[in-house]
Amino acid sequence: MVEKDFEAIYRAHVGRIYGLCLRLTGQSALAEDCTQECFIAAWRALPAFEGRSQLATWLHRIAVNTVLTQRRRRPGDALREAGTLDDAALELPGGAEASGTLDVEAAMDRLPQGARDVLVLVGVYGHSHDEAAAMLGIAAGTSKAQLHRARRLMAQQLGIAMEAA
Amino acid sequence: MNPPRYDSLEQALAAVPRELQPSRDLWPGIAGSIGHDAQRVRRAPWSQWPMALAASLAVLGLVGALCWSVVHDRPGGERVASATPPGSGRGIAVSFQRPQDADYIAARTALERTFNERLTLLKPATRERIRADLETIRKANADISAALAQDPASPLLWQLLRSTWQQEIDLYTTVAQTTQTMLTRRT
Repeated sequence: MVEKDFEAIYRAHVGRIYGLCLRLTGQSALAEDCTQECFIAAWRALPAFEGRSQLATWLHRIAVNTVLTQRRRRPGDALREAGTLDDAALELPGGAEASGTLDVEAAMDRLPQGARDVLVLVGVYGHSHDEAAAMLGIAAGTSKAQLHRARRLMAQQLGIAMEAA
Repeated sequence: MNPPRYDSLEQALAAVPRELQPSRDLWPGIAGSIGHDAQRVRRAPWSQWPMALAASLAVLGLVGALCWSVVHDRPGGERVASATPPGSGRGIAVSFQRPQDADYIAARTALERTFNERLTLLKPATRERIRADLETIRKANADISAALAQDPASPLLWQLLRSTWQQEIDLYTTVAQTTQTMLTRRT
């Protein structure tokens, strides 16, 4: 493949890949770095792409792997990385949270890392639990549990009844 | 201004844009990194590539968007976690290496029949969108096939062609699986 062909792939997918990276990292500069690294890694791995999965899914796998690698390189994001934000810490009294008007993106951003990762991959980008688990290096059961936790926390933050959530 | 309220978490998540644009064009940095690699790659005369590639890229992501459309057509709205993801195609024992294989043809025919039956359960707007998506996939398949006629040795074109077969099956499967609940509730 020549470079201009790969640029077409980049142009077609950069929006989704950057969106995914931004939601997983919560930082625009880091998300841009991850996006860039993702496409560089994809270029190098392209000869091994067998076409058995969709190109978009394949790129998502590379993007998630890139984000996970970045997290290991940057332990400064300690609260998220260590998952020390417990559920109670997210249930702040008063303000937008209590009135249920917190923005969806902001609510996702406040989720503990494990829950947010799964919600982004399964809830937003439509991957299965098996796919999300494989990307994140966790068990499918863990993915399901994290999604349940994410849904509960999101419902609380957005003021949505859990039955409706 | 307050953010909008949502009746369900599915509604809230559906409002989240899947695509966001970075603050700057990242391509120059990528091109700089891969440029060195590219120089080592022998260039093939893929004159038909850009058109076929553009056509194939146009269909990527359609099935993902479709999942949401179908899910939101369901009465009561099922949980997002139960939506069939793009690219799953689980349970379809078909060899895409041999699309003229009898098993493939039988499975595809059965799926297409179910797909056409289930389409009638969906809202007209969703139905039209799905038909448009299917048409796009078939157009991409035709364009890639034309490119392959010019460059039959291109492994990546073959991969993209197989990808369109898979996308068509995924589309059928997604509609069949996500409308199953609607059928069950009716009975």
